[in-house]
Amino acid sequence: MTTITATDRPPASALGRILNVARLHVVTPWTAIGLPWLILGVILLGNLGIWALILANVAEEDKAKVSEGFGYSGSSMFIFVYMMVVAVQAISVTFPFALGYGVTRRDYYLGTGVTFIGLAAMYSTGLTILAALEEATNGWGLNGSMFSTFYYGEAWYERLFIFFAAFLFFFSVGMAAASIWVRWKANGLVAFFIGLGVLILGGGALITYTASWVAVGTFFANAGLVGSFAWSLVISAIAAVGGFFVLRRATPKG
Amino acid sequence: MDESRPLFVQLAEQIENDIIAGVMPEEAQVPSINEFAAFYRINPATALKGVNSLVDEGALYKKRGIGMFVATGAQAQLKTKRRDKFAAEFVTPLLTEAAKLGITSEQLADMIRKAGK
Amino acid sequence: MTAVIEVAGLTKRFGGVTAVDDATFRVEENKIYGLLGRNGAGKTTIMQLLTGQDFATSGSIEVFGQSPVENASVLQRVSFIKESQRYPDDFRAKHVFTSAPWFFSHWDQDFADQLIADFRVPVNRRIKKMSRGQVSAIGVIVGLASRAPLTFFDEPYLGLDAVARQIFYDRLLADYAEHPRTVVLSTHLIDEVSNLLEHVLVIDEGRIIIDEDAETLRGSATNVAGTRSAVDQFVGSREVLHRDSIGGLATATVLGLTAGERADAVSAGLELAPVSLQQLIIRRTNTSEKEFEVSA
Repeated sequence: MTTITATDRPPASALGRILNVARLHVVTPWTAIGLPWLILGVILLGNLGIWALILANVAEEDKAKVSEGFGYSGSSMFIFVYMMVVAVQAISVTFPFALGYGVTRRDYYLGTGVTFIGLAAMYSTGLTILAALEEATNGWGLNGSMFSTFYYGEAWYERLFIFFAAFLFFFSVGMAAASIWVRWKANGLVAFFIGLGVLILGGGALITYTASWVAVGTFFANAGLVGSFAWSLVISAIAAVGGFFVLRRATPKG
Repeated sequence: MDESRPLFVQLAEQIENDIIAGVMPEEAQVPSINEFAAFYRINPATALKGVNSLVDEGALYKKRGIGMFVATGAQAQLKTKRRDKFAAEFVTPLLTEAAKLGITSEQLADMIRKAGK
Repeated sequence: MTAVIEVAGLTKRFGGVTAVDDATFRVEENKIYGLLGRNGAGKTTIMQLLTGQDFATSGSIEVFGQSPVENASVLQRVSFIKESQRYPDDFRAKHVFTSAPWFFSHWDQDFADQLIADFRVPVNRRIKKMSRGQVSAIGVIVGLASRAPLTFFDEPYLGLDAVARQIFYDRLLADYAEHPRTVVLSTHLIDEVSNLLEHVLVIDEGRIIIDEDAETLRGSATNVAGTRSAVDQFVGSREVLHRDSIGGLATATVLGLTAGERADAVSAGLELAPVSLQQLIIRRTNTSEKEFEVSA
């Protein structure tokens, strides 16, 4: 590390300030990077173990049918939802700390957003590579499919996009939830989830009442997998922007 | 440094004591403001005030870019000043206390003579 | 003198509680200010308002001539060190010292290293596992090494033992002498810091009750002691901050005695004793409390 002696460096530019916040998030990379990969690895090993066990106890002629069932493994979905946890943790812990360093809420939010976009890019790239590896090895030699399930599309660029959109979605919702938590603590979060529940139930009721489930289904079918995830980006954007307006008036209480 | 009087007054007195005692000889450089501040653990602005009061009196003078020096004749000047205050500062309290205890002037003079030997 | 901070009519209410009540004052450049007051008087709230960490209910704040709220150009020149600072869970001390320089462009690493040694901070240990004194030391080191043109210390030395506190005061004084900047120290331990201060702001129940040069304040009051009648006679109609008596003896704390008046007191058989800054402030704080009780 180069020693910085008594300096009068010029203060950081707007971009510099935002990147400094991003750096702050990964000073200790374990929570945001190490742990999720570890979890993914554990899930993968768990799956391999289960598949191997099943195949070992099944008659030869049934193996093909059983392997088909492996294609429906949703175990990798957990890692997406986990990003919400990562986001909430990151923000609730670094927000008061960053304010202590004289960071404005705007720079903090933007810097955190940049961090999450970077993490989403990293994870989606990693998963795409794992999916390719999985196909190349015929499902890790066990015909399993965790990363290359049809949920995520077929071509590698489809997968990359879907992974990226999914990660962004959960990061954004996490940012919104974290902002609510930081500003209004437990009460706020409870109110948020109750409100969300009402919204979802209300939406479902409305669709049922107007008998438009078919229309909804057709919409997503026409959009296709990639299209549907593209629509999720709209929700992600709304969540991210909403989170900012909540954080703008948040204070670092004790 | 105590709480009885402003700190800058106490610092000035301390420097005066050193000049009178000859510890800071005439034309010698005295410590810098920052050194005084650090030594006595007081704010540099306070130290500056104390030193400046001596500059105003003419006991110290500043050489630009170098520092503060004891003026020629400062020792004699300060001794004179102290002598003027001696009566009010030491003699009057002495007499007041002596009066409280019923010690006469002659007994007082006697004590002084004996102690001075 | 340039004002680094100008506050006018600043008020902050939390629900029914008025934490800061119509405060108006200015902080001049490159002086060490003491923001003194009892626990819960409003010291921390004022600092949070001045650093944009909390929002005023009414009134105006200008730091470096601008509002500090969400203002990066102002906040980059400000460092706010507080006792209650929480660090990210898996942070080790070294992570703080690695990240702080990113946010403070005047950071002096050599100075920081020297302070780390002085305060004996174990840089590789998790902050969660450190003693309160070590965690406080981290904050103090960041505040000192950041060399921010405006530095707030909100009682971050409460966790430090007496030896470490003395180290802090000494380092602060020495560094301030070499690299002048505006420092605001808040504390309820007045006597310890009183000699470091150039200007004193005392806040009591949200109101600024004293805003004066420290040297003027020091020695501005005297304790007069003697027989009750002698004390009463001498005091006359002077402003008395405090009265006390035991048996036939009485003491009174009076403001501003000239040399002549002091001589009069002595010849009247009264004893004069100094009043420290802490005692002075305690007396004047209690006065306003009594006023509050009377008007309630």
